[in-house]
Amino acid sequence: MDWFPLLNSLRVASIATVITFLLGIWAANGITRLPRALKGVLDCILTLPLVLPPTVVGFFLLKTISPKAALGGFLLDSFGWKLTMTWYSAIFATTIVAFPLMYRTARGAFEQLSPEWEACAATMGLSRRFIFWKIKMPNCRAGLLAGTVLSFARALGEYGATSMVTGYIPGRTATIATTVYQLWREGNDTLAYRWVMIDLAISMIVLIAVNLLEKRGGRQYAGSAN
Amino acid sequence: MKKLVAVMLSLSLVLVGCVAVAETATPQVELTVFAAASMTESLNKIAEMYKTVAPNVTLVFNFDSSGTLQTQIEEGAEADVFISAGKKQMDALDVTASADANPKAQDLILPDTRFDLLTNTVVLIVPEGSTKDITSFEDVATDKVSLIALGNSDVPVGQYAQDVFTSLGLWDQLNTDKKITFGSNVKEVLSQVEAGAVDCGVVYISDAATGTGIKVVASAPAGSHKPVNYPAAVLKSAKNEQAAKDFLEYLKGADCSKVFTDIGFEIPER
Repeated sequence: MDWFPLLNSLRVASIATVITFLLGIWAANGITRLPRALKGVLDCILTLPLVLPPTVVGFFLLKTISPKAALGGFLLDSFGWKLTMTWYSAIFATTIVAFPLMYRTARGAFEQLSPEWEACAATMGLSRRFIFWKIKMPNCRAGLLAGTVLSFARALGEYGATSMVTGYIPGRTATIATTVYQLWREGNDTLAYRWVMIDLAISMIVLIAVNLLEKRGGRQYAGSAN
Repeated sequence: MKKLVAVMLSLSLVLVGCVAVAETATPQVELTVFAAASMTESLNKIAEMYKTVAPNVTLVFNFDSSGTLQTQIEEGAEADVFISAGKKQMDALDVTASADANPKAQDLILPDTRFDLLTNTVVLIVPEGSTKDITSFEDVATDKVSLIALGNSDVPVGQYAQDVFTSLGLWDQLNTDKKITFGSNVKEVLSQVEAGAVDCGVVYISDAATGTGIKVVASAPAGSHKPVNYPAAVLKSAKNEQAAKDFLEYLKGADCSKVFTDIGFEIPER
């Protein structure tokens, strides 16, 4: 059995998770300081990929980074970067789709932290950086971890946008999700079942991890941001 | 909460009301046609023409790869007509086909309604303005091509492409070189070439005619693949057998033949 789809999926999902982790926390932390109207609009935009069909994300991505699109063409002509039909194309797709999960979970965690703590720390002359790293981050650890695991799970399971920007090149861009689809299309149920089992196993592990983290945190994080 | 439930209830009542009104309008025959993706443009055009011929018939299309349509029909999708871009997919549903072609002995079409509607030509296309100088199927195995889009083995045009490269002795090499991206129907292959995401792709000449920003550089060598037939038939599950037969009869007519030949299809002798 060719294990490439598993390795590629894990590679794509891991990188996408690191990016969403950083971006998600940065956005969740930054948005609280914005004026209310701007906050509402931004929050909408940042959460959009959660409710949009991934095919819409894929469509926008293709219209942006494919070789005949403005940005994609520019990057190809000036740097020789081809951003579609490569294994790392999937990183763009999965990052966008997984981002809202990290962002919303992180925001929920930050908002559950009593605002007095921050204010109190500020009156003691502590810098914002200190407050963020030594007060906010440690106290929200369980929530942030849960968000990270959820993002990883979403990135691992992404199919629609990924298949649109990477195609299906066996041994180059195939992921577990696109492989299962192609195997089904080709009528190769035996192999499809095997990949389905592998995917089920990974997903179960991820979900158990989320549950453990949430229990340890003792609070509800996901979806609590408003 | 109560208020929300009340709102939802009244909203659903309104919706039910709308549906009820719509259903009491003039009785219309709805004909569901499952057709190969390569027929999208021609059949949409024909649907416009058919409105004047049979105003009471509304044509509903489902365009996808013939393999996908075959699976959907096997899994019980409600359809009246099936037009496949490959003999194989129709045979698999035809009880009169050989046991090899229909191993599950499925009996899902009306065999006496089956006929070959069209034939097509397999071509190699490149994005317009391509500087790679790709001029033949043999070029695909050279360094000129780093990525080619083909239909997967379930898509007729993918099978024909595999036939072509196998007969040229290049198929195994293309796979070892990981040069192929497999699309799930012919339009996906076309889109990938149009977007310049791949260096070239294999489609039908009729798709090439409807594509934008692409160029045909070669036709498949004669005899390098099985003939491209488009068999059509009425399905056993058809709710409107007569309307379905009438529509297939109409497709054989001169008006439709012109639509088909205009974009590169050929009409077989029958």
